[in-house]
Amino acid sequence: MVKLRARCLLVGDAAVGKSALSHMFHSDGTLFQKNYSMTAGVELLMKCVQIPETSDSVELYIIDSAGKQTLVDACEKMWGEPSLLFLVFDLTSEPSFASCSHWMERVRAHCGDLQLPGVLVGNKSDLSARREVEASVAQHWAQSRGLDYHETSAKEMENCEAPLLGLARTFHALYQDHRDTIQNLGPG
Amino acid sequence: MIDSSLSSLGAKVVVAASSDENHPPENIIDGNTSTFWTSTGMFPQEFIIRFAESTQISAVTVDSYNVKQLKIEKNTSPNASQFESVTEQELKRTEGHLQSNTILLNGSNATHLRFIITSGYDHFVSVHRVSVQNVQT
Ligand SMILES: Nc1nc2c(ncn2[C@@H]2O[C@H](COP(=O)(O)OP(=O)(O)O)[C@@H](O)[C@H]2O)c(=O)[nH]1
Ligand SMILES: [Mg+2]
Repeated sequence: MVKLRARCLLVGDAAVGKSALSHMFHSDGTLFQKNYSMTAGVELLMKCVQIPETSDSVELYIIDSAGKQTLVDACEKMWGEPSLLFLVFDLTSEPSFASCSHWMERVRAHCGDLQLPGVLVGNKSDLSARREVEASVAQHWAQSRGLDYHETSAKEMENCEAPLLGLARTFHALYQDHRDTIQNLGPG
Repeated sequence: MIDSSLSSLGAKVVVAASSDENHPPENIIDGNTSTFWTSTGMFPQEFIIRFAESTQISAVTVDSYNVKQLKIEKNTSPNASQFESVTEQELKRTEGHLQSNTILLNGSNATHLRFIITSGYDHFVSVHRVSVQNVQT
């Protein structure tokens, strides 16, 4: 049995649905555990995600940063060294998708030597008539940055577990690689 | 010199945030570099070694992987508290083999040594062996 811990940065433009997504599991005891604190624009949530078909789990410490430009600087001080990226845009807003590169660079600057795996989430899939970003375009962009792509609707509670499970699985796979590597190391 | 593991000399690992039951912190002091303790995500990580009795230490050797920034603290108290800083180092990255670093402690007396890993070259770091060179008396 292994319990992993990952610091997961939830970023994206204002109003894309970051907080709606991160609060999705308030009522669901299996995914939501604690709501730690609400400070200057930063909210820390902890979700424990079970990896299917194993006895392993990943605690995701999700840092929800306010998207408003004025608050971002204050939030950045709380980011620390992130383990995972949870990048969200609004499927009905092309500008929010265009901002994703900027968000990614901003988070990368905090990563030091660590690589930054994660997910790209197109939210508000329920507003299909107002869609401005094609799934294939978003998928392609995500793939080129090493991110998994998911579409969700926080409003209709559609597919909202997929990004969290994706993040947990990615981190779990990294851990297994690490363990395999060190089991085969020579002495110093 | 007989190369005894710290655990056979009565030392213990008293604190370690560790969450993989197959790789417990005791592996740090079993004298064997093929067993290890591994972190399971996020920094900082720390562990404390408690000696059976107050020990004069000339140097400590740490065999590890992916550790970047390492701080060592010590105390001479029976409890694992009130540590004083000894050294802080940036270890070199290695690939395909362990990092092995000997850190001089100049004969300091200690009952506990505290190791704080503040950053790594990967999301996960491992410590395979800590051994201590005592001042000959
Ligand atoms: N239709 C629809 N509205 C959503 C969805 N997710 C969030 N919203 C709405 O979008 C607005 C902004 O959401 P919020 O979570 O505060 O965005 P944040 O600034 O990124 O945290 C709110 O009015 C939400 O009710 C969704 O999936 N579909
Ligand atoms: Mg060992």
